[in-house]
Amino acid sequence: MTDTATAALPIDLGNGPFAVTTRGLAKQFGSARALDGLDLQVPEGSVYVLVGPNGAGKSTLIRTLMGLVRYQDGAVSVLGRDPADRGAEVRADIGHVPEDYRVGYAWMTVGRLLGHQAVYHPSWDAEYARRLRARYGIDPRRKCHTLSKGESRRVQLVLALAHRPPLLLLDEPTDGLDHVVRDETLSILSEHLADSPTTVVISTHRVYEVEPLVDHVGVLSEGRLLGQLPRDELYGGLLRYWADVPEGWRGPGELAGRVVRRSDAARAIEWTVWGDRDAVTRGLSQAGAAVREVAPLSVDEAALALLSAREAT
Amino acid sequence: MKIRLSHADGRPLYVQIMDAVRSGLVRGSLRPADPLPSVRELSSSLRVNPRTVSQAYAALERDGLVRVRHGKGTFVAPGVRPEEKERPRLAREVARRALADASRNGLALADLMTALREVEGGDAHGDGRKEDGR
Repeated sequence: MTDTATAALPIDLGNGPFAVTTRGLAKQFGSARALDGLDLQVPEGSVYVLVGPNGAGKSTLIRTLMGLVRYQDGAVSVLGRDPADRGAEVRADIGHVPEDYRVGYAWMTVGRLLGHQAVYHPSWDAEYARRLRARYGIDPRRKCHTLSKGESRRVQLVLALAHRPPLLLLDEPTDGLDHVVRDETLSILSEHLADSPTTVVISTHRVYEVEPLVDHVGVLSEGRLLGQLPRDELYGGLLRYWADVPEGWRGPGELAGRVVRRSDAARAIEWTVWGDRDAVTRGLSQAGAAVREVAPLSVDEAALALLSAREAT
Repeated sequence: MKIRLSHADGRPLYVQIMDAVRSGLVRGSLRPADPLPSVRELSSSLRVNPRTVSQAYAALERDGLVRVRHGKGTFVAPGVRPEEKERPRLAREVARRALADASRNGLALADLMTALREVEGGDAHGDGRKEDGR
């Protein structure tokens, strides 16, 4: 049995300060609605992960924040500027790992490409770029067109990090990386965060890969947010309850609209519920359920629960 | 200091780091005035957000277990006596987890206590047989 109610998770993060906001952001490609009244709030200094399935609007959103896609409705502020008017200025302050793998010009060497960046970014740290490149094991004499998918990703990460920008927009940054390089990348990002205060937006449909870095979570589906909240709030407020119940048990009515996902067997239930742990446990117990275990969900599991509840409607 | 984080664990990451420091104190692998790894080192080796490590260190400092000396790093507080406070506290935490595990399996406290004594006495099967058939 699957519940079809979409539980209301919080979307408003309060008063900021925010590095990035959008209000009622809408973008349509022909008749397809990519972004549908999106209210994004990325707190300054936060690592914000944007989770959602392919086609949810993640890449369109990131390209809009970069000023590479023009939006039709709403308002956007990136580091206090509207990327639609001041795209070049905004892009100079952003470290971007794009969805696309290709880097630079095919004939250019990696060393030349890295040297080239100093022109666009006054804060380019050539020594840091060299260290990252060496750590990633990329020979500077390699021509860009000879790089594999994973090697291009590594070069893109060096390009994004080495000017120590106040904002990093990383679109599927671990895509194409093998286990060892992915692990190295997480270590590099941890050190980068410790050394350079920065706001990070990571878009991914594989959140488990970056989960230990995350402060805030936004779950995106069909161009809208299903929830936007601090990771600790998600961790404390969206919980899975296992309980033994009498045959034919229906559950307490007061939890209606809070059950994100339910899976019922004959005499046992496994519910994912948004709400205060003690209140939910009390509600279940008073309705005759014997609660055996309550456990938090990983961000990955939480996103999956929210997204599948959405699909069931 | 060896720390192993588990994402399947019910405790938030910063609490897992705090508990690892506590257990180091109780086991004696961390002693008063010992340095802890820097926030940068520990977050890099655990692949976590440096804020999570800072959060753990700040909470440990509030509990009086560590002292943050600006520009020098984080150290175990000189006056810490793990036997008095940390040992019973860690024991309670382990007991809480054991009880939760028992309750998940439909067992009561009495079942758990009986089984603990039997296992500790080497009678793992509760029928006089020793563990491993010895």
